[in-house]
Amino acid sequence: MKYLDIAMDAARSLGADYADIRIQKTTDQVIYLHNLSLKNTSTDITDGYGIRVFKDGAWGFAHCNKFSDDQVAATVKKAMDIARLSAQVKKGAGLTLAAERSYIASYQTPVKCDPFQLSLKEKVDLMLEVNRMMLNYEGTKQAVFYLLMHKDEKLFASTLGTRLDITTQFIDPMITATAVVNGDSQSRTFDEGGRATGWEWISELDLAEKAKQIAEEALIKVKAESLKEEKRRTLILDPNHLGLTMHESVGHATELDRVLGWEADFAGISFATPEKLGNYKYGSDIVNFVGDNTLCEGLASAGFDDDGVPNQRWFIIKDGILNEYGSTRDTAPQIGLVHSRGCSRATYYFNQPINRIPNLYLLPGKEELTPAQLIADTEEGVYIQGRGSFSIDQHRVNFQFGGDFFWEIKNGKLHRPLKKILYKSCNPEFWNSCDAICDERFWRPFGVVNCGKGQPSQTGRMTHGAAPARFRNIRVGGSQ
Amino acid sequence: MKDQFEKIAAYVKKHVKADDYNLRISAKDSHETRFAQNAITQHIAGANIDIDLEVAFADKTGRCSINQTDETALSNMIRSAEDMAILNQPDPEYVESAVKQDYPKVQNTSEATLKLAPEQMVEIVKKSIANGETRQATVSGMTEKHSIQIFNSAKNGFEGYHELTEFDHSMTMKKDHIETKVSFSGKDFAAFDLDQEIEQLNEQFTSLGNQQSFEACKIPVILRPAALAEFFWFMMWMMNRRQSDEGLTAFTDQIGKKFMGDKFSLMSTFTIPELVAAPYSWDTIVSEETYWVKNGVVENMPCPRYWAKLKNLKPAAPFNVYVPGGNTTEEEMMKMVPKGLIVNRFWYIRPVDMKAGELTGMTRDGVLYFEDGKVKHAVNNLRFNEIPHDVTRRLLALGKSVLCDSSVMVPTVLVDNFNFVDTTTF
Repeated sequence: MKYLDIAMDAARSLGADYADIRIQKTTDQVIYLHNLSLKNTSTDITDGYGIRVFKDGAWGFAHCNKFSDDQVAATVKKAMDIARLSAQVKKGAGLTLAAERSYIASYQTPVKCDPFQLSLKEKVDLMLEVNRMMLNYEGTKQAVFYLLMHKDEKLFASTLGTRLDITTQFIDPMITATAVVNGDSQSRTFDEGGRATGWEWISELDLAEKAKQIAEEALIKVKAESLKEEKRRTLILDPNHLGLTMHESVGHATELDRVLGWEADFAGISFATPEKLGNYKYGSDIVNFVGDNTLCEGLASAGFDDDGVPNQRWFIIKDGILNEYGSTRDTAPQIGLVHSRGCSRATYYFNQPINRIPNLYLLPGKEELTPAQLIADTEEGVYIQGRGSFSIDQHRVNFQFGGDFFWEIKNGKLHRPLKKILYKSCNPEFWNSCDAICDERFWRPFGVVNCGKGQPSQTGRMTHGAAPARFRNIRVGGSQ
Repeated sequence: MKDQFEKIAAYVKKHVKADDYNLRISAKDSHETRFAQNAITQHIAGANIDIDLEVAFADKTGRCSINQTDETALSNMIRSAEDMAILNQPDPEYVESAVKQDYPKVQNTSEATLKLAPEQMVEIVKKSIANGETRQATVSGMTEKHSIQIFNSAKNGFEGYHELTEFDHSMTMKKDHIETKVSFSGKDFAAFDLDQEIEQLNEQFTSLGNQQSFEACKIPVILRPAALAEFFWFMMWMMNRRQSDEGLTAFTDQIGKKFMGDKFSLMSTFTIPELVAAPYSWDTIVSEETYWVKNGVVENMPCPRYWAKLKNLKPAAPFNVYVPGGNTTEEEMMKMVPKGLIVNRFWYIRPVDMKAGELTGMTRDGVLYFEDGKVKHAVNNLRFNEIPHDVTRRLLALGKSVLCDSSVMVPTVLVDNFNFVDTTTF
């Protein structure tokens, strides 16, 4: 596309030390069904370009939704003017960018059945069937099916000579049943987050069957009891619960921009500071976290990040020790790293890219272990599935999590369902209390499609994953 | 900008074949300067537009939004929304578009904000950082201005247009264990006083020098406005008429009843000039002066148009949040209880139990311990699990209401027995 060349030529002629342009068209199709009522059936298209100019150790970023030679050139000039203003307020010589070579490449999310090409009727028919299935249960007051289909088509060029053509997409189904019985209301949700794949995933899920399970479990949950007092207990956590726990307590804590204090005013900083690299006992010896933007069906897998850095796989925590961060071209040099790990991503064309969590997952246990064996090996405890309430302090130390469905474990068996369960823990206590992880047969991914961060706020996407794991001696109790 | 919107509306009116439609257009021009650790790290400028069309053939609906304004794009938008509606299933809760209505005249813009130049914004950042450097501290924050125009047009006659401006500046100052923040957010840059903001920041910073450890417990607490604003925002979010009528929230069957404390009222109002007040909602519900809670009695709840039609109620939407305050100063509050905590701000509040209305969250940016009417020292941050409507029953005193956000004005309050449940390491 000619605008790539126009922008890069203009940036060079204005004296940019580095510049890039990201032309990005984002298409979202959303279908939101609430009690058989289609509350929203929409297609949203956001199309434009963002231009970054790096000059004298500082960034300028300008965006525009008007496509013409003059507008592109004017947007480059605006970005340059802003970069010059930014350079008035820098530390020392300002920022530097990690070394990177040029690439000419393309990437496309592997999709067998593109949901955007599927008829609306086919999608809505399935959703109505699922909705009816849940409403058939007496006591179900609210049945929701939310379906999001998302596509980003990007063209990227930089003054390094890089030219990228990237199309990524994902699909995200979520169904919720809410039961109201005897003055209480409790919901149960099927939610594995989004996945970078096509409709073939939806076909495999058998959502009608999932709907029955969800509705029945909402009714079980609303009639269940809670645990009164908080005390130290054993927890077994499912992958679709652990996804959020690792997101908050490991993912955000190991974003290098937070570590550097760049998010101090809003999203917060991190306790996992650089002097802890290579020596800090973040977790027990069996805890291994991998950053992996090459993960198949991963939401952050795109071939390259928005700095034009190729996707990579690396250890963030290895054998329990803090090993490395997720970094970008402008954060990596701040701690002496030569190369970026490729974690620079923007949500829309009008967002300046920021340091994001990569696809990040807990490696499965090396010994053969099934969830049934794990429960049988647990005298007393609580088993948590799904995500619920979540909150963590701005240094990523203290946290409190709820869940979506709970079982009390007694004598190695699922004893009774529970509701309104919370656990409180902190870093590094929590991951050091992990004493068993099921093997790779039980590893499941969990996608996050709405990770809020930045000023102005952006919603990032990444995939987590785990096999069921056990945590000892955690404070667990009922809510008020 | 309004001319361009009217041109788009005329095109849509001419080419839409559907039985009904709602057109909503919003345009935004922004300049955002972000700084951290005493340097600018991000700097963003640009304008965008969002054109959103919802159409209906009988009770079958479809929606499409775009950000391009040429006729080809508009034509594609209409076709996409209409194709979607034709292929869609009927919506049993469909409500036709609003008819022509008068709406309140509002003044939500400021010349001073519109005229603010990027160079001036950078000077504000420089001065903010220079203040931190005199204390060997780091300063991080955001200085931003926005100009926004909103236009609505509906098949059944509703037409509306309004504008607003916004200027925000925040500063987080950090040195060793001391970390605190001030922020300004309002429609009028002329109301912003950087010296006053810096003075407040420095005062907070100094007060946090001597920090001692403190265990979680139930204790009286003075919640400063920034803390209270976020806390009550979540309560307002849970006050939904339909969800309450369906038994999903703590507010079920509470309309007209004294469900909250005597000292607590909550309004959306046009009477405070500093507060941005949208004349109508995104869903074209015309704004009216509304008490949501008056002296503890739940008078009203936000009610979507479908639920209002079904239950023969008046649709209602909050257009700003105002909690009327009192005259008690922070010094007087400290003397009203033997001991307690002062909280600057909350962080990461999330619902724990929708039916109970219970929330969790952390303190942030400074917690002070007071005893015998005087601040003794700073303490570590704490986690709370609390129920906001229950907190209103434990209000002991209210201070003067102040602007926390361009559309939120709340006071400092003294609350008895606030439920802190955990601590963190800083």
